[in-house]
Amino acid sequence: MLRRRPKEALRTFALSAVLLFAGHPVLAQPLLDRLLIIAPAAPGGGWDQTARAMQHALEREGLVRVVEVQNVAGAAGTIGLAQFVDSYRGNGRALLVSGLVMLGAIVWNDSPVSIEQVTPIARLTGEYEVVAVAAASPHRDMRSVADALRARPGGVSWGGGSAGGTDHILAGLIGAAAGIDPRRVNYIAFSGGGEAVAALLGGNVTAGVSGYSEFAPHVESGRLRALAISAGERIPGIDVPTLREQGLDVELANWRGVLAPPAISRENRTRLSEVIVRLVNSATWRQTLIDRGWTDIHQDDQAFARYLETERARVWRIVTRLRGSPSQPGEGTPVARLIFPAAVFGGALLVMLLLGIRGPGRARVQPVHHPTNGRAIALVAIGLAAFVILLEPLGFVVAATMLFLAVTRAFRPREAEGSTATGRFWRRQVFSEPALAAVFSALVYLSFTRGLDLALPAGAIWSWMR
Amino acid sequence: MDALTALLAGFAVALTPQNLLWALAGVTLGTLVGVLPGIGPALTVALLLPVTFSLEPTAAFIMFAGIYYGGMYGGSTTAILLNTPGESASVMSAVEGHLMARAGRGGAALATAAIGSFVAGTLGTGALTLCAPFMVDIALRFGPPEYFALSVLAFAAVSTVLGQSVLKGLTSLFLGLVLGMIGIDPLTGESRLTLGLPQLLDGVDVVIAAVGLFAVGEALHAASLVGNRSDELIPLKGSLWMTRDEWSRSWRPWLRGAAIGFPLGAMPAGGAEIPTFLSYGLERRLARDPGQFGKGAIEGIAGPEAANNAAAAGTLVPLLTLGLPTSATAAILLAAFQQYGLQPGPLLFTHEPQLVWGLIASLYIGNIMLLVLNLPLVGLWVRLLTIPRAYLYGGILVLSSVGAYSVNRSVFDVGLLYVIGGVGYAMRRYDVPLAPAIIGLILGPMSEQQFRRALAAAEGSPAIFFTRPIAAALLALAVVAVASSTLTPWYRKRFGPDGIGRQGPA
Repeated sequence: MLRRRPKEALRTFALSAVLLFAGHPVLAQPLLDRLLIIAPAAPGGGWDQTARAMQHALEREGLVRVVEVQNVAGAAGTIGLAQFVDSYRGNGRALLVSGLVMLGAIVWNDSPVSIEQVTPIARLTGEYEVVAVAAASPHRDMRSVADALRARPGGVSWGGGSAGGTDHILAGLIGAAAGIDPRRVNYIAFSGGGEAVAALLGGNVTAGVSGYSEFAPHVESGRLRALAISAGERIPGIDVPTLREQGLDVELANWRGVLAPPAISRENRTRLSEVIVRLVNSATWRQTLIDRGWTDIHQDDQAFARYLETERARVWRIVTRLRGSPSQPGEGTPVARLIFPAAVFGGALLVMLLLGIRGPGRARVQPVHHPTNGRAIALVAIGLAAFVILLEPLGFVVAATMLFLAVTRAFRPREAEGSTATGRFWRRQVFSEPALAAVFSALVYLSFTRGLDLALPAGAIWSWMR
Repeated sequence: MDALTALLAGFAVALTPQNLLWALAGVTLGTLVGVLPGIGPALTVALLLPVTFSLEPTAAFIMFAGIYYGGMYGGSTTAILLNTPGESASVMSAVEGHLMARAGRGGAALATAAIGSFVAGTLGTGALTLCAPFMVDIALRFGPPEYFALSVLAFAAVSTVLGQSVLKGLTSLFLGLVLGMIGIDPLTGESRLTLGLPQLLDGVDVVIAAVGLFAVGEALHAASLVGNRSDELIPLKGSLWMTRDEWSRSWRPWLRGAAIGFPLGAMPAGGAEIPTFLSYGLERRLARDPGQFGKGAIEGIAGPEAANNAAAAGTLVPLLTLGLPTSATAAILLAAFQQYGLQPGPLLFTHEPQLVWGLIASLYIGNIMLLVLNLPLVGLWVRLLTIPRAYLYGGILVLSSVGAYSVNRSVFDVGLLYVIGGVGYAMRRYDVPLAPAIIGLILGPMSEQQFRRALAAAEGSPAIFFTRPIAAALLALAVVAVASSTLTPWYRKRFGPDGIGRQGPA
């Protein structure tokens, strides 16, 4: 404790000052020293906002000393889930933000990992979906959208998040409620909320589907018009009619929660659950809910585990209806989907064919002057292989030292063994080289892990030996 | 002018001694971290975000602005000197920049990058001050058809002019396109070319591909030449600074780069890379002596470096006016705003004028500081080249590995980096250019997705690409670019010997 980093001391001091001024009790000891929250989506979206809001509240309330948020984007969170199951097994200092979308994506992508593999910690918030159009759109309410949909399903394009996500599910349900085959809904998936909002603002899609909070600032500024909300009844403070009121029998809540890695100890599970319960009851979190327009639907780990069971079954029924051979115009037709891969592979084949005809001989003109130093390349390759193999078991410092040494050896000319001037130079250096490599690696390690909060592997073997 | 009065008030905020100090701390940290390969501005801001938790919002954002711009500056240094671009927006700077560095003109290349970044950053910030609301309306007109057309233009601008051999250029390009198809298809959720490896569902990260092809490939290539006297590079030849000729060849590319970079950066799906591709292609076409390209043409650094800094300023337009994060860095800045309970969006300018204008003013100040900081550093950076190559490449490989690991904290990525590095070595061995692979990797997925989105919105009718004026104009430009680059050599060959078209001194 005596040798605290100045940055931390500054942060702690400032934190105390903030808490003092805000009238919070200063907590003597945080429940956790470090916590990693993985947002399985690109920065800016709902899961990312949840993760960062948690980070803010947990640190501000002094529940966890340092919270780190990491984004593992892709495939509606299933990549994040797979990595989470894979790399954090048994780790009691990591949480994964999850939600309805992930359940849908698991079914949609035939994901090899399942939500049953992880440990439910808590359901946190829920947000209702909003259907919105650009201010200039002719549609004034959902009835007119539904009429247009019935007249020509392909003519109404829906912009939203990734395929199989909440937005897609809602668009499909609306289509079904309006009396068309959900598969004929012309849904266009965008990566991330920002891109979908931009497409809607620019009038590039007929309607947008997203969580209320992502549309709210634009509805407020008058650029977007909210047509319907997916809640069962009107939400106080949000002046948007429900889908039911407008003749479409659809209700959908996009819940979000947190999961812990598989196979964590009971003690860790209880502690994480405790951290989240105290988070949910904190003043900062309550204020966050108000600011963001999120609804508190907290469930503790036991209740959430039961809820997940039933929700999983419900989502499976919805998504399997949406999925299958698509019959939408444009996107769904195999031509549009295959044209690009076909062009790439066709072109690549052609290039390879031409290379085959002309042969690499012509290409080799230049390197002929330089005989390849096979020994040096082999040494560098050995160094690289050693780094990959040793990084996790022995830690960064050892692995990097090996890599650095292999490279310096590779670059030492063969005549170094002789008695030329360069040879003497290299021989004099020989003894200090391992030291130099180790010092350099240690410096890199320290500056990244301490200076930048970027954790490099310390080495499993050392922690195991301890 | 409302904006100017508000800006003056902003300067009053930014010019307080404390805030100046935060700006200086920001640009210094940003430059230092940005210099590391594989660690670009987005990661820099993300890593340094916790440092600012304890600051009051205005000071924190002033520091952020410094880190953001500083990271953009730093990214080009290693690209030029060591052929290891730290981020994808610096790839084009590595192409000509490193050739200059090898010829002893590294100092001039760094100087033109720094001054160009300053000029473009300042112009971009000026454009942000004066026409942010107006820019946003134009940017929003860009929908999927326009983005598709833009990607086609970028392909046309760069790919036809890269490398000595068309076949080798295409080999590299298709390699990038195939790499870009790896992963989950975002429109349908199907996985493609992942070889059953879940780590590849995410696709191949551009940073890993760029650092692998350039840095690791370069280290292997250098190792293969050990014991070969002919490949020594010259640390410095002539003046450290830019010569009069280099000045006169630089200033137009700076301005053109800024003009391309800012509007494209302001577009919700524009990014900082495409402007660098377009700028490179344009400069190559307009250069007094196009033969210099491929040998270290200063225009080929001045333009792209200006373009990526102007794009950084452009990114702030949708962020501040609409609250739309359009780049990884902007998304982290958005998170920083929200951390302070601020919602960037149409109302931020009216609700928090002191903060917004303080931030914009500090962008001007940060730019000046970066120039003052970076020009003297040029001499220091150039001396990097005098480090014994064993240590230099050892350091590069260690730092590249850290950069690759930090993307997803995955050892798999480090292995992938080395495999791609091996490919990069093979490409060098057979004299295949590297940049087209990166271009294919960045433009391919964008091109495909926007093409399919456009078709879906138009119910499958390709007419949408020709009936929307902006899309049609961009496609027409692409056709002109391809036609002129294929017809010009033919024309020269056909009429050159007759003396027609030979004007001016040879």
